Amino acid sequence: MLLQVNDIHVHYGQVAALKGVSLEAGEADFVTLIGSNGAGKSTTLRTISGLNHPSAGEIIFDGQRIDHLSADKILKMGIAHVPEGRRIFKDLTVTENLLLGAFTRDDQAEIRKDLAGVFERFPRLNERKNQTAGTMSGGEQQMLSIGRALMSRPRILLLDEPSLGLAPVIVREIAHLLTEINKQGVSIVLVEQNAELALELSRHGYVLETGNVALEGEAASLMDNDHVRKAYLGI
Amino acid sequence: MGVVNFAHGELVMAGAFTIWLLHAQFGLGYIPAIAAAIVLVTAIGLLMERLLFRPTRSDPLAGLICSIGVLFILQVIAALIGGDGPSKQVPPPFHGTLVMFDVLRIPYQRVFSLIISAAALGTLWFFLTRSKFGWALRAVAMDREAAELQGINTDRISVIAIGVGTALAGLAGGLIAPLTNINPHMGHNVIVTAFIVTIVGGVGSLSGAVLAAILYAVFHTLVTVYFGGTIATISGLVLMVIVLIVKPTGLMGAKVSE
Repeated sequence: MLLQVNDIHVHYGQVAALKGVSLEAGEADFVTLIGSNGAGKSTTLRTISGLNHPSAGEIIFDGQRIDHLSADKILKMGIAHVPEGRRIFKDLTVTENLLLGAFTRDDQAEIRKDLAGVFERFPRLNERKNQTAGTMSGGEQQMLSIGRALMSRPRILLLDEPSLGLAPVIVREIAHLLTEINKQGVSIVLVEQNAELALELSRHGYVLETGNVALEGEAASLMDNDHVRKAYLGI
Repeated sequence: MGVVNFAHGELVMAGAFTIWLLHAQFGLGYIPAIAAAIVLVTAIGLLMERLLFRPTRSDPLAGLICSIGVLFILQVIAALIGGDGPSKQVPPPFHGTLVMFDVLRIPYQRVFSLIISAAALGTLWFFLTRSKFGWALRAVAMDREAAELQGINTDRISVIAIGVGTALAGLAGGLIAPLTNINPHMGHNVIVTAFIVTIVGGVGSLSGAVLAAILYAVFHTLVTVYFGGTIATISGLVLMVIVLIVKPTGLMGAKVSE
């Protein structure tokens, strides 16, 4: 298994945000975490990428424990995190944002190639490459955030609410993009409020409720689950 | 970086004092004395980063108050070394005056300071806008967590930022030493000027700071000539307050996000 999260507990001060969450993702896998606000979805991603550290449990990536490592080291190992709210560097240009995604790499020729690849994948970023990132629309900023993460050549891409606040047509575009990235061999762990979209894209799903995995299974079977249909799909 | 270093003026003072001590008192050459000032002031800055700013990072106010403590400590150390008598003077190592078109007269000492300052500024600008580490530094200032997610070691970037900033303070001290009166309290003027220039120019904007510095220098000089130095400083501060009321982001400041 490429990524294994075993029974992690995370606390914010006295408050327990995760009370024993386990999940796993294989090579070129596509898994999703769904759940309501405050269920612990973002905390799970933040703990995998090293922004938070678990008080108990372990996270194993490619055979190594990573739960005590800092975020910059975890990125170097091949886990990139597209954070909630895009978090692009607003005063830097699009190109500078993308090149910072490759901050840990030294292979200049390959970086240039990947930059050209991102511009090919996102023609709108190419049109705006010398523009300050903060001047772009929400959808473009989301694409920049994903493009920036890809510049590190990750083996796993963690995405936190990439559809948040975007128009349906842009959401479709991003969904299509994630499928493509996944097909090229990058494993994806997707956190989404839009459960329908998330389950449609992924192979396996986890339902988080108040810091626990309440339910898990094949995405298709979760879609048919009565509880999921009622609580998250609104059917 | 979200760090406000109130002792920055005292770091400039420490640089100027180093020149007075090593160059004017002990006869070390002016250029090697400047190098020594840069090394010493940078060392103080790095110590401050490690001992004060890093532990108080979650609370910018605590860092600011710690830096005020350093401000007083540096003043006292300077008074202990140099005595609290009259201000010290460093004889200008460069003699003579550049005369242009028969009307413009600039002492060579100031020409030297001007050239070195412009070169330092150009290098800083190049570093901040054209190098990977400059982008990383600005990224950490904008969003520390997002920067970490790009694999940027934010602790190391903070060290570089403080290192560059304090090295420039040391250089500034070295350059103004022969042009001004050196005393333990000279940092006061430096920090007041720096705050006016930073706020008028826009916090976090290098081009804004440069523009504001030139405008403020012209303004300050004109008011000093026609009305006197104290009035000039007061009107500078009034100008800063007006900018804060009319355009809180400064001349070139970015919009405050979120």
